[in-house]
Amino acid sequence: MLSFALRRLLIIIPMALLVVSVTWVLIRLAPGNFYEGEKTLPPAIEENIRKKYGLDKPWYQQYFLMLSNVVRGDFGDSLKYQGETVNDIIKRHLPYSATIGALAYLVALIVGLSAGIIAALRQNSSFDYGSMATAMLGLSVPNFVLGPIFVLVFALGLYWLPPARWGGISNLILPVLTLAAIYMAYLARLTRAGMLEVMRSDYIRTARAKGLSETDVLLKHGIRGGIIPVVSFTGPALAGLLAGTVVVERVFAIPGLGNIFIQAVLNRDEPLILGIVAFLSILIMIFNLIVDISYGYLDPRIRYE
Amino acid sequence: MLRAILRTGSFLLMASMLYTGCTTQATGRFYGKTEAPKNNVLRYISGSEPESLDPPVATGQPEARVMMALYDALVEYHPKTMDPMPAIAESWEIGAGGTEYVFYLRKNATFSNGDPITAHDFVYSFRRAVSPELAALNGYLGFYIKYAEPYNAGEMFVRDRDGRFLLKSDVEEKAASPADVPVADMGYPTEFHKYIDSPDRLTVPRSEKARNELFAGNAKLKAAVEGKELVPIKGEDIGLEAIDNYTFRIKLKQPAPYFIGLLGHQLFRVVHRPTIEKFGKAWTKPENIVTSGAFLLKEHRPYDRVVTVKNPNYWDAEMVRLNGIEFYPLDEATTMMNLYKAGSADAIYNHTVPAAWNDVIRQYKDEYLNHPEVAIEYYTINVKKPPMNNVKVRQAFALAIDREALAKFRKTTTPLVDFTPEGIFPKYEQARTKVYTEELKKKGMTMEQWKARAFDPAKARQLLTEAGFPVQQNGTSFAAPSFPISDVELLYNTAESNKAIAEFIQAQWKQNLGITVPLKNMEWKTFLTYRKKLEYSGVARAGWVGDYMDPFSFLYLFYGEKNDSSTGWFDPKYDRMLDEANRELDEMKRFEKLALAEFMMIQEQPVVPLQTQATNWIKKPYVKGLYPNPGTLHAWKFVYIEPDPNKWDRDVDNIMKVSDPWVDQHIARLMTTQETFNAQKKA
Repeated sequence: MLSFALRRLLIIIPMALLVVSVTWVLIRLAPGNFYEGEKTLPPAIEENIRKKYGLDKPWYQQYFLMLSNVVRGDFGDSLKYQGETVNDIIKRHLPYSATIGALAYLVALIVGLSAGIIAALRQNSSFDYGSMATAMLGLSVPNFVLGPIFVLVFALGLYWLPPARWGGISNLILPVLTLAAIYMAYLARLTRAGMLEVMRSDYIRTARAKGLSETDVLLKHGIRGGIIPVVSFTGPALAGLLAGTVVVERVFAIPGLGNIFIQAVLNRDEPLILGIVAFLSILIMIFNLIVDISYGYLDPRIRYE
Repeated sequence: MLRAILRTGSFLLMASMLYTGCTTQATGRFYGKTEAPKNNVLRYISGSEPESLDPPVATGQPEARVMMALYDALVEYHPKTMDPMPAIAESWEIGAGGTEYVFYLRKNATFSNGDPITAHDFVYSFRRAVSPELAALNGYLGFYIKYAEPYNAGEMFVRDRDGRFLLKSDVEEKAASPADVPVADMGYPTEFHKYIDSPDRLTVPRSEKARNELFAGNAKLKAAVEGKELVPIKGEDIGLEAIDNYTFRIKLKQPAPYFIGLLGHQLFRVVHRPTIEKFGKAWTKPENIVTSGAFLLKEHRPYDRVVTVKNPNYWDAEMVRLNGIEFYPLDEATTMMNLYKAGSADAIYNHTVPAAWNDVIRQYKDEYLNHPEVAIEYYTINVKKPPMNNVKVRQAFALAIDREALAKFRKTTTPLVDFTPEGIFPKYEQARTKVYTEELKKKGMTMEQWKARAFDPAKARQLLTEAGFPVQQNGTSFAAPSFPISDVELLYNTAESNKAIAEFIQAQWKQNLGITVPLKNMEWKTFLTYRKKLEYSGVARAGWVGDYMDPFSFLYLFYGEKNDSSTGWFDPKYDRMLDEANRELDEMKRFEKLALAEFMMIQEQPVVPLQTQATNWIKKPYVKGLYPNPGTLHAWKFVYIEPDPNKWDRDVDNIMKVSDPWVDQHIARLMTTQETFNAQKKA
C-alpha cells in the first residue's frame, strides 16, 4: 500500500513536467504575444521588452530555463501584471476559488447523497421520481444560465442578495448554489445508482440474514459500497472546483483562479499560464491518488500491491 | 429525449426571463436602486484589472482611470473637453517653432508623504518613462522628446578624436531638422540648453550587427563613423531639463502641436524617486507606495477592488469633495449592469451597456450617457492583394454600405465617411469643410456629392463594373459573377458585436453589389498578428481610439512605410503633407493642411470608414461632475456625490451644455494661472 502511494507520488513530478512542456509548446504555437496590441511597437521598444524577458535567447535555452525554474517551483514574474510573481498570484487567488468550491461541494454532498440514498431506498416512489427529475434539470441547465437566473430573481427582483463581487457571507450564497447545482445532481444520481446495485448484492442479503437491523445494514455495509462511484467522481471534481470555475467566477465577479487563468490565456501571459497549469495538474493527480487509496478502505475487495 | 425536452424547457425559461428583464418599460424614474452613498465614496467600475499601479507601465484606458486618481501631472484633462488644464504646472509656454515647452510649476504641490514636487521630479519621471530598462509599452508616446527614441533603443552618439560629436547633417544630404523654421529664443540660456538646441547629433545602433546592416546600404555613413568613438546615449542626454526647482523645460525633436495634450497621459504622471529606488518593483504595494494625486491608495485586492481615499496633502485638497473612490476592476458587461441596478456601483466605464439592453437603458434619460467619442470603427483593406489592389474595387465596397442604417442598427454610433471621428474636433471639421469644398471644386464636385459617399450603391456598381467586374441586375437583385469571391474575406475578432456588424455589412454588399463575402472570426491576439502581417485578403475589422485630442492621432496611422494601418498602404507624399502641417504654428492653417492629407488618403480608400463610436455608459444621477468626455477619462477631483435629489443630474443628453456652477467655478479658478500668464505675455 505504502509503496503504491510512493510510486504514484513520484510519478506526479515527471507527469507535471510533461504537462508543462506540452503547454509551453502550445503557447509558443499560438499566434500573438503578451506585449502586442493594436499599435505596432517601435522596434526599439519591442527589442527592450524581448531582452527584459529573455525572449531574445534561442528557444531551447528558453525552454530549459523555464523547465529548471519549474523544477525549483519558481515560475517567475507575470508578464502582464508587472512586479507580481506567479506564485504570489496563485497564493492570493486560490483561497477565493477554494472557498466557493469547497462550500459548493459540501452543499452538493449533503443534498446529493441524502437525496440519492433516500431515492434508492424508496425506489419508484414519488420522492424518487421527483428528486431524479430535479437532478436531471440540474444537469441540463448549465451554470451560465442558472447563475443569471438566480441573480435576476434574488438580487435584482427581490433585492435579497448582492448580485456579484466578493464580500460577506451574503455574497457567497448565489455563486455557491449555482456551482453546487450540477454536482448535487450528479451526486444524487450516482449515489442512487450505486446504492441500488449494492442493496441487491449478496453481502447485503447476508447482512440481513445475520439479523442486523436495517439501519446497521445501510450504514455499515450499504453506504460504504454504494458511494464508491461518488468517491471516484469526487477526486477530479473537487480538484477542479477548488482551483476555480471560470463561468461562475466571471458571472459573479469573484477574483478566483479560474478568472485569472482565462485572462492569462487571453493575455498570453506565459509564466502565469504555466504556473496555473502545473498547479492544477498536480492538484488533480494528488486528488486522484487520494481517491484510489480511499477505495481500499471503502471496499475490502480492492487491494493494491 | 427527456434531457432534450428539459434542455429546451430551460432554454425557454431563460429566454422568457431575459425577455421580461430586457423589454419592460422604464417603470421607475431611475434604473434600479438609486440612493446616494452616505459615506461619500464613489464606487466606479473601471474595466479590466490594472496591469500595474506604476503609471508608465500601465498601458490601457482602464489603468488610466485609476492612475488619474493616484497621480497628478503637469496638466490635467478638462472634465468636459479633455483639453489640457493647469495641474502641477500653473502655466506654460511653447516656443522655438513648437519644439520647446517651458512649464512653471506651482510651489505648493507635494507627494503623499509631504515631499515637495519639483521640476527635478518631472525630469526623473519622464526619463524613467522612456528608459530602456523600464521597457514601457507606451514609451513611444515620449519619443517626441529629443533623443528619447535613440535613448530608448540604446543607440550611441559618434564622437571623433577632437571630441566633436558627429551631426546628422554630416552624413545626410539635408537634415530633416526643425531648424529650418525661424525660431524665437525662449530665454533661460543654460549649458544644457546650448547642447540640446544645437543641430541634431548622429545616432547609430548599439549592436554591431545592426550597425553593419545600416552601413551596408550607406557607404558615406560607414566612412564617417568608422574609427570613431561610440558614446552611449544616457538619460541625461535627452531633451528634459530642470531650469530651477519650479521651471521645467522639454525640447522636442520636431514640432508637435498636440504634445501638450499628451501630457495628461499616465506615462507623464509624476512619481516619487526615493520610493522607487528603495523598494524596486515592490514600490506600488499599498504599504510602500507614495503617490502625487488627489487620492491615496488604501487597499488593492487584484481583480476585486482598488480602494482610494482623499489625499489631505494634495495641493488642491480643498476642492476635493469625495472621501474616496473604490474602483472595481470588472469587465463582464452583464455583471456590471447587475451591480449597477442593485445599487452596488455608481458609475461604469464606456462601451458597457450591452446592445441587447440598450433599448431599456436608453429610456433612463437621467443616467444613460451616449456622446461622441474620440474613437472610430472601420474596416481595413489589404491593398496588396488583388482584387483589392484596385482602388475602384475598394471604393465600390466603401460606397455600397448604408451607414445610416448601420448606425440605426447599432443604436449608439454615428455614420463615418472620412477617417477622423465626427463631432469631436469642431475646429478641424470647419477647416476640413473649407479644404474639401475647394478641392472638390477642382474636380467639378460639390460637398453634397461628397457626402453622398455615406451610401451610393449605383456609383458603387458603376465603379465595380469599371474595375472589370460587371454587375448584372436580375430583377431587384444584383450579381457580379466575374468577381473572384474566393480571394476576399471579412475578418473580425471574435465578439458578438463584431459579428453583428460583419453580418450587416455582408448583407449590404450582397444586396448592393451582388457579392457575398465570406466571414471569418479569430481570437483577438491571433487576429491581430494575422491582420498586422497582412495575411488576410479582403477586409478586416479595426477600431482606433485617439491617444490625444487632435486629428493627427488618427491620420498618423498611415504615416511611414511600416505604419500601423494594417492595410499595406503608404505614400511618401502623404507623410510630407503631415510633416508640413505639424510645422505650421497657426492652428487653423495646420488643420487645413491636415485636412488636405486626409482628403488625399481617403480617396485612395485603404479603409472603409464605418462609424464614430459613442461613449455608451451609465451613471447614477447623484454622481455629479462626471462627464461623457471623448475619452472617458475623468479628472476625479471634479466629481462629487449630491445627496439632495433636487440637484441631481437630469436629462443627461444635455449634460455637456448644462452648467454646474461648482464645477465651472473650479475650472475657471484653475484656468486663471495660465490665462493670466498669457495675458501678461501679450502685454
